[in-house]
Amino acid sequence: MTTVIPFGPQHPVLPEPVSLKLEIDNDVVVGVLPSLGYVHRGLEKFIDTKDYNQTTYICERICGICSALHGITYTRAVEKLFDVEIPERAQYIRVIVGELNRVHSHLLWLGLFADGFGFESLFYECWKYREAVLDVLERITGNRVIHSISRVGGVSRDLTKEQIDMTLKMLDAVESQVKDIEKVFVNNYTVKQRLVGLATMSKQLAYEAGTAGPTLRGSGNAVDVRETADWDIYKDLGFKPVVEKDGDCYARTKVRITELYESIKLIRNAISKLPNGEVAIPIKGFPTGEAIMRTEQPRGEVVYYVKGNGTKNLERLKIRTPTFANIPSLLLMLPGVKLADVPIVVLTIDPCISCTER
Amino acid sequence: MGMLNLVLTNISRKPPTRLYPFEIREPFKEFKGRIVFNPENCILCGLCQKKCPPDAITVTKADKTWELNVFRCIMCTECVNGCPKDCISISNERAKTGAKEFIKVAVPIVDKPKAPKAETPKAASSK
Repeated sequence: MTTVIPFGPQHPVLPEPVSLKLEIDNDVVVGVLPSLGYVHRGLEKFIDTKDYNQTTYICERICGICSALHGITYTRAVEKLFDVEIPERAQYIRVIVGELNRVHSHLLWLGLFADGFGFESLFYECWKYREAVLDVLERITGNRVIHSISRVGGVSRDLTKEQIDMTLKMLDAVESQVKDIEKVFVNNYTVKQRLVGLATMSKQLAYEAGTAGPTLRGSGNAVDVRETADWDIYKDLGFKPVVEKDGDCYARTKVRITELYESIKLIRNAISKLPNGEVAIPIKGFPTGEAIMRTEQPRGEVVYYVKGNGTKNLERLKIRTPTFANIPSLLLMLPGVKLADVPIVVLTIDPCISCTER
Repeated sequence: MGMLNLVLTNISRKPPTRLYPFEIREPFKEFKGRIVFNPENCILCGLCQKKCPPDAITVTKADKTWELNVFRCIMCTECVNGCPKDCISISNERAKTGAKEFIKVAVPIVDKPKAPKAETPKAASSK
C-alpha cells in the first residue's frame, strides 16, 4: 500500500517553495507529482511597461543567485537584435563578473548541500568562503547580490587596477580554501556514505530527459554552453567542460567543485588577457526582429528569446531557465530513493524555483 | 581528517562575523549606497524620470521639485549616467535605517523669462 507524503512547499532544505507529492511504499519513493506556481510574478508580461534598457534590471531580478548572468544573457540577446559588436573589454568584464557569480553560486550550493545532509560545520565553512567572493563583487559592481553590471551596449563600470589586484588576491585565497573543503566533500566517510550511488542517472537517460548543467555533466555528457555557444571569448580563454561519469549525487557534487577551479582559472586568464579600450558603446534606435541567446549559468543552460517590433518596448521575452529543464530529470531520479534521501536528491539539481516561475 | 583540521583551527580563530550594529564595517568606496541630488544645475528636463526603471523619480515642472522614492530605488545608476547636467551622483554611504520614504528637493531653476531668451538666439542662428 502506498502513502502520499507532501514534500514542500515549506521544507527546511528548500530555500524556495516547490511542492512534491511523494508516493511512498515501505519508505521508498515510487512516484512523484510536482506542483509549481507559488512564486510566479509575471515578469515576462511586466516588460510590456518598460523599455528595452529597463528590462535588463527586471531580468536581473529573476534570480538572486545568478542575477549577473541573467542580465548578461538578456543584454547579449538585445545586442544580437541590433547586430552590434560591443567592445572586447566589456565582454571580458562580463565574463569575469559572470564567472565570479558562478563561484559564489557553487559555494552557496555546496553549503546548502552540506546542510541538507546534516553537516552543519561544512555549511558554515562554505558560506564563509563565499563571503570573500561577494565582497569582491560588491567592490567591482557596487552591489552585493543584484550586480547591475551589464547594460545594452556594454558594461556600466570599468575595472580598475586596484580591483583587479584585489580579485586576484581573493582568488588565491578562495582556491586554497576550496582545496580544504574539497577534501571533505570527496574523501569524508560520512559524505560518501550518503552520496555514492544515490539517484544515479545514466548518460543516455540524462541526455534524453533534457537535463542541463552540472546534472547533465555529472552523467558523462560533455555539454557546456560556454564551449558550444557563439561566445568566442570562452574559446580564447581555454575553457574545457567538467565531466564526471558516474551520474550519482557524488558525481554531481564533484562536477561543481571542479567547476570552481575551472571558473577561477577562467577569471585569471580573462584578467591576464584583459584588453584596453572602451567599456560601452551608445546604441540608438529600437530593436526589430527576433533573437535567441544561450548562456551557461551555474545551474545549466539558460535560453532567452527576444522579439522586437520597432518600438521601445519588446514585443516578447521568453526565458527558459535551467531548473525548468532539470525538474523532469528530478522526477526520473526520485523513484527508488529512500524518503530520508529525498532532500539530498532534490538539492543535487540545485533547484532555483523563482527562476523557473519568473 | 580534513574537516577535523578545519574545526580545530576554527576554535582558535576569531569569529568571521561582526557584532552588528555595535561594529559597523566601513562601506567600500565603490559601493552604491544612496542617490545624492544636487539641485543647482538641474533644468527639470525629466530624463532621470524617463530612464528610471522602477519609476522612483518624479520631476514636477509646475512645482519645480525633484522627488525620489528611496524605497523604490534599485541603485541601477541609470539616472546618474543619464543626467545631462551631472546633477545626480551616487554616494557610498548607506541610507540610514528609518529614513523617510520620499526625498523632495526644490529646484532653484532659472527664472522663466531667461529661458526663451536663451532659446531665441539659437533659433535665429539655426535659421
